[in-house]
Amino acid sequence: MKLAVVNNCVPFVAGGAEHLAEALTQKLREYGHEAVLIRIPFRWEPPAKIIESMLACRLLRLPNVDRVVALKFPAYLVPHPEKMLWLLHQFRQAYDLWGTRFQGLPDTPEGRRIRDVIVEADNRFLRQVRKIYTNSQVTSDRLRRFNGIDSEVLLPPLADTSQFFCAGYGDYILYPGRITASKRQLLAVEAMRHVTTDVRLVIAGRHEAPADLAQIEAVIQQHRLARRVQVIPRFISEEEKAALLSRALACAYFPYDEDSYGYVTLEAYYSRKPVITCSDSGGVCMVVKDGVTGHVTPPDPQAVAAAMDRLYLDRAAARRMGEAGLELLRSLQIGWDRVIEALTQ
Amino acid sequence: MKIIIATSNVPFVRGGAHLMADWLGQTLRAQGHQVEILELPFSSRWENLLEQMLAFRLIDLSQHGDLLIAIRPPSYLLRHPNKVLWFIHHLRGAYDLWGTRYQDLPSSPEGLRCREAIMRADNAAFAEARKIYCNSQVVADRLARFNRVQAEVLYPPLFQPERFRTGQTGDYLLCVSRLTHHKRQWLALEALRHTQTPVRLVMVGRPDPGEETYAMELSSLIQRYRLSDRVVLIDRWIPEEEKIRLLAECLAAVYLPLDEDSYGYASLEAHHAGKAVLTTADAGGTRELVLDGLNGMVAAPDPEAIATAMDRLYADRSMAQRMGEAGRQRIAELGISWDRVIEKLLS
Repeated sequence: MKLAVVNNCVPFVAGGAEHLAEALTQKLREYGHEAVLIRIPFRWEPPAKIIESMLACRLLRLPNVDRVVALKFPAYLVPHPEKMLWLLHQFRQAYDLWGTRFQGLPDTPEGRRIRDVIVEADNRFLRQVRKIYTNSQVTSDRLRRFNGIDSEVLLPPLADTSQFFCAGYGDYILYPGRITASKRQLLAVEAMRHVTTDVRLVIAGRHEAPADLAQIEAVIQQHRLARRVQVIPRFISEEEKAALLSRALACAYFPYDEDSYGYVTLEAYYSRKPVITCSDSGGVCMVVKDGVTGHVTPPDPQAVAAAMDRLYLDRAAARRMGEAGLELLRSLQIGWDRVIEALTQ
Repeated sequence: MKIIIATSNVPFVRGGAHLMADWLGQTLRAQGHQVEILELPFSSRWENLLEQMLAFRLIDLSQHGDLLIAIRPPSYLLRHPNKVLWFIHHLRGAYDLWGTRYQDLPSSPEGLRCREAIMRADNAAFAEARKIYCNSQVVADRLARFNRVQAEVLYPPLFQPERFRTGQTGDYLLCVSRLTHHKRQWLALEALRHTQTPVRLVMVGRPDPGEETYAMELSSLIQRYRLSDRVVLIDRWIPEEEKIRLLAECLAAVYLPLDEDSYGYASLEAHHAGKAVLTTADAGGTRELVLDGLNGMVAAPDPEAIATAMDRLYADRSMAQRMGEAGRQRIAELGISWDRVIEKLLS
C-alpha cells in the first residue's frame, strides 16, 4: 500500500510530534509498505493566519496515494477519500485551553470567530474520515466532548527503545525535554527550595523562548540553588539523554494537562526509572500510578519536594517502581505491530 | 545561514526536482548551513491547478529562515521576503506545450481562463523574486518569451559524480529515464528496427503514475518488431550501484526526449561515466550539453537517422570512447559544479 503520513511543520523546529511522524513513516516501510512523509507548514500568528493555513490544507491534493494517515490540525484537513487520523491533538487553544491562560486566541469578536471556524471545520471534516485513532484517552475524551465524535485510542510507541538502559540509581532527578512554560520545569526548581535531603535536580533540553530559561535561572540565583540544580540548556542527543537517564534516581515530568503520556515517561520506564508527575498533568497519569510506577502529587512545590525526598531516601522503592513502569508498558501492548495493523487495515 | 528549499512533488515519483532539492540540501548542510527542505504534494490534473496554486500562495514562510530557494512549480508562489528561484520548468501545458499533443489544459473558454490565471500568478511571483536562476538556456528563453523575465542559467550538477566509473565498452545503448510518452523510448525502438548492426538496447525506468499502459505498449512493440533478443526493458527503478554498472559497461547512452527543459541527469551521468550521448535535434535542453560529433551525436528525430547514428557508434567503438571522454571536458567547460551553484544562490 502507498501511504502518506501527513503532519504540520514549522520550519527548523522539531519536537515529539515530528519524531513520531518520522518514526511512523520509517516503520511503515519496515513493514513492507511504500510511505512518504508530507509536511505542511502551519502558522498561527497573527490568528487570522490559522484560517489561511486551514484553507491551504483543504486546497492541496494528494495524488498517487492509497491512504493518508494525518496527525495534527490543520494538516488533517487535507482532502483524500481514504483518510485515517492518528490524532495527536486538535487546535487546543480553540477547545480545552480556551478560557485558560494558555488560550492564545484573543477573546475578541475576531478571536471568537476564528475559534468557531476551527470548531466548525472539525465538526464537518472529521466526520468524513474513514476512522479516527487518537494518541490517548484524553484526546478521545475531548473529541467526544467538544465535537461529539467517537474515536479509538492507539498508544504511540517509542521509535527505538534499544538505547535505554539502567546504570543504577544516582542522586539526581532528571527533567528532560523542551524547556517551556507549559511543561513547568519551574515547578521542579521551586520544589528544590523545600527538599530536606541532598537530592539534586538536572534539567536538560533546549528552551523555547529566552524568557523560559531566564525565569528558571532567576529562581536558581535568588534562592541559591546553583549547587543542587543543574540546567543544560541545549539540544540533547539521544545518546546523551539515554546516559543521563541511566544514572538518574527518577524522572520528573509536569506538563499542564498533557494529551498523552509523553515520551519522557516511556523513556524513563525503558530506563527502569520511576516518574514524578502532577495530578493535573492529563494523559501522563495514565501510566504514572501513585506509589506503583512513580508519584502523582498536587502541582505545588512542597508536595513535589516530598516525593523527591521519599525517592532519595528509599532507592529500593525507586527501583521497584521503575521496574513496575516497564511491566506496565508491556501489559498495555505499546508497540509498532499494533499501530501498523490498525492504520493499514 | 538558515535556508528553506521548497519544491513540489507527486508523491512517490522521484523526479529531477526531488533530486535537485535533496542534493542541494546535502551540499548546503555540508557547508554548515541549516537547511529545511519542504516538498509539498502536487497533482498536475488541470482541474486542480488553480486551487493548488492558491494553497501554495496561502503558505506564509516569511517568519522562517534567511532565504527561500524555490525549485519546482508552483513553489515560487510561497511567501518569503528573500526568495530566489532555481526555476526548472513552467506548468508547461499552459506555456510551451500549449498547442501540442502534450497540452493538458483544454482549449475551451475555461481552459483559456485557467491558462491566463496561471500566467498572471506566475508573473506576480517572478516579480517578487530577488533573482531568477534556471536550469537551462531553453528555460531561460521560455521565461523571456512568455513572461518577459531575465533569468540566468545555472546548470544543476550531479551529486557525488565520482561514483560513476568507466568500464569496458559493451554492445548496448543505455536509456535511463522515467517511462512516459514524451521521453520517447518508443522512438528508440522504432530506430532499432532500421539498424544494420546487431547493436542492442537496454531501457531502464519506472512508469510515471498513470503511464503503466505506456510501459505495456513498449513491451508489445518489442514483441511486434521481433526485437526481444536485442532489447531489455526494466520497467522499475534499479539500485544506484546497478545503474552505475550498466553505465560503466554500455556503448553509449541514448536520450530522446521531446523538447526537454534541460540536459537531463541521465546525460550528465553518462558523461561522468565517460560515455557519449545520442540525442535528437528536437530534444531541447539536451542540445546545450551534447554537441554533434564532439561528446555525442545529434540525429534528426526520425527512426532512420537515429538508426544510422546507432550503427556508427557500434561500428566505431574508438569514436564512441573518444566522445565519452570529451563528455567529461564538456561538463567542466559549462561550469557545472556545486561550488558555482552555491556561490550564485547565496550571493
